[in-house]
Amino acid sequence: MGLNHETAPVEVREHFAVSEEQLGLQASRLTELTTIAEGVVISTCNRMEVYVAAEDRQMGLDVLRQHLSVDHDDEDMSHLYQKCGDDAKQHLFALVCGLDSMVLGETEIFGQVKHAYKQAFEAGATKGMLNRLFQKSFAVGKRIRTHTRIQMGATSVGNVAVDLAEKIFGKLNGSHVMIIGAGETSRLVAKSMISRGASQLTVTNRSIERARSLAEELSGEVVPFDSWEEALVKADVIVSSTGASEPVLKASQIEAVRKKRKFRPLFLIDIAVPRDIEAQAGDIEEVYLYDIDKLQQLASLAKESRAKQVKLCEQMIAEEISQTS
Amino acid sequence: MLVIAIILAAVAAVQGARYVRRGHKSQWTVLWMLFCFVAQLTILSIRGEMRASCPLGDTGEVLIFSAWSLTMFYMAVGSVYRLSLLGVFTAPLVCFLLSLALMPGMLDASPERKTVVDGWRESHAAFSVLAYGALGLAAVAGVMFIVLNRQLKDAHMSTGLFANLPPARDLSKVVGRLLLLGFALLTLGLICGLVMEKTGAANKHLYVALGQWAAYAVLLILKWWRGMPPGKLAMAAVLLFVLSLMIFPLIN
Repeated sequence: MGLNHETAPVEVREHFAVSEEQLGLQASRLTELTTIAEGVVISTCNRMEVYVAAEDRQMGLDVLRQHLSVDHDDEDMSHLYQKCGDDAKQHLFALVCGLDSMVLGETEIFGQVKHAYKQAFEAGATKGMLNRLFQKSFAVGKRIRTHTRIQMGATSVGNVAVDLAEKIFGKLNGSHVMIIGAGETSRLVAKSMISRGASQLTVTNRSIERARSLAEELSGEVVPFDSWEEALVKADVIVSSTGASEPVLKASQIEAVRKKRKFRPLFLIDIAVPRDIEAQAGDIEEVYLYDIDKLQQLASLAKESRAKQVKLCEQMIAEEISQTS
Repeated sequence: MLVIAIILAAVAAVQGARYVRRGHKSQWTVLWMLFCFVAQLTILSIRGEMRASCPLGDTGEVLIFSAWSLTMFYMAVGSVYRLSLLGVFTAPLVCFLLSLALMPGMLDASPERKTVVDGWRESHAAFSVLAYGALGLAAVAGVMFIVLNRQLKDAHMSTGLFANLPPARDLSKVVGRLLLLGFALLTLGLICGLVMEKTGAANKHLYVALGQWAAYAVLLILKWWRGMPPGKLAMAAVLLFVLSLMIFPLIN
């Protein structure tokens, strides 16, 4: 029994949310209810689900609904869905594979379910049936990830940019990221790069205050907007998102520093409209230029590719369920 | 044994390519290449026994030795840099070299057993062919870089090949390091060649070898001194290796 981003708005989901530390305790409380022998509680930002093994199916559902209704009103309860037997198995398997996630095929849910199960197991809330079911679901999740392309490709502009950076530079450790224009998307891309190991950050912006604020947040340094060209020599990745009507970075500026850069690869991410970086910059051999259209196109392609894999994943899940039934 | 080695290299190439098309890494490529390496080693041991010297007496043996050297460097570099896909690119070249060696007239059926062995000549041949292995692998990594570079420039990220290719900077580093290793081996081979006892046809061979050595030297000096776009370095590694292969007919 549970609810997710498709059945309930965030204001309802937050009523059901269970903190990470409480997952085990809540699961063990379920086992105190009549007819319920085992329980696991999963709670993420997009869902809250309760898995139970009951001696009597109908009584189990009634008891569970009653238990949840203690702290929630009828409106909240109307958003819950319930599944039994093979339907519940199918749901859990699909969930672990990311088929039920907001971002199709995302992998974080696998870890979240594993964590929830571990909490319940350690709290003594699981025994034979749920142990077997969850172990099986993890095996199915691994099998589907290995044999399908459900998780292939990044589905957001930020992740596409970071994936591309890793395809160009490998590990981003020690890479120098330069931000031109302290917009929100630049901030997100820069944060992603730093989370993957980029250690040096330079920020430049027409408003020095905004540049300073972003640099402080991301532990970078500020370069005045009229002298950022010198920083071009050190940069590995440049993210540009100014509101300028003319190109901010021209091919000739890069040509001028190529020798000083010893022809190192340069990844240019232009997320501004109108574009900040002259298209001819992409013709320079060691320069990889991606504008917002290209990045969005790649994200869409990955989404389409993942959607095409759903049928295959569902077939594999059906096979697994028929084997376990 | 040569046929077995060819089959193993072909299996590595075909199976690896099929995995790549499906977007997976083949765990088997390294294993097939390892078996292929053992098969090549066996052939070279048998030929070495027959000759009572380094098995580099005819074009067939040079081709097998080159394929062996290429496979050996792949085994070393592939595991160090986790470039498992390098095997998928190396296997066809190994298969091609071994197939050439199988052609009539390439391998002497009853090689002459040497009574006097010139150590410098043997070392010259061995270092030179080992250099070909390293330089050949640099060319293979260069081809991989060129393919990846094109895909990155054209934003073609959805192919299985793109997903499996190692990062561009890593590939470029591998090209540079293999070029350096190949050049060092080539230098040792050349030094041994200058010291060894000369025969009539040696002059032409020597000039070509010196030209080849100088070309690689210029490339490496340029790269070290002023830097070079990775694409140009990769292209140069491929072109110079193809040109180097043309030296084979001049050896005998």
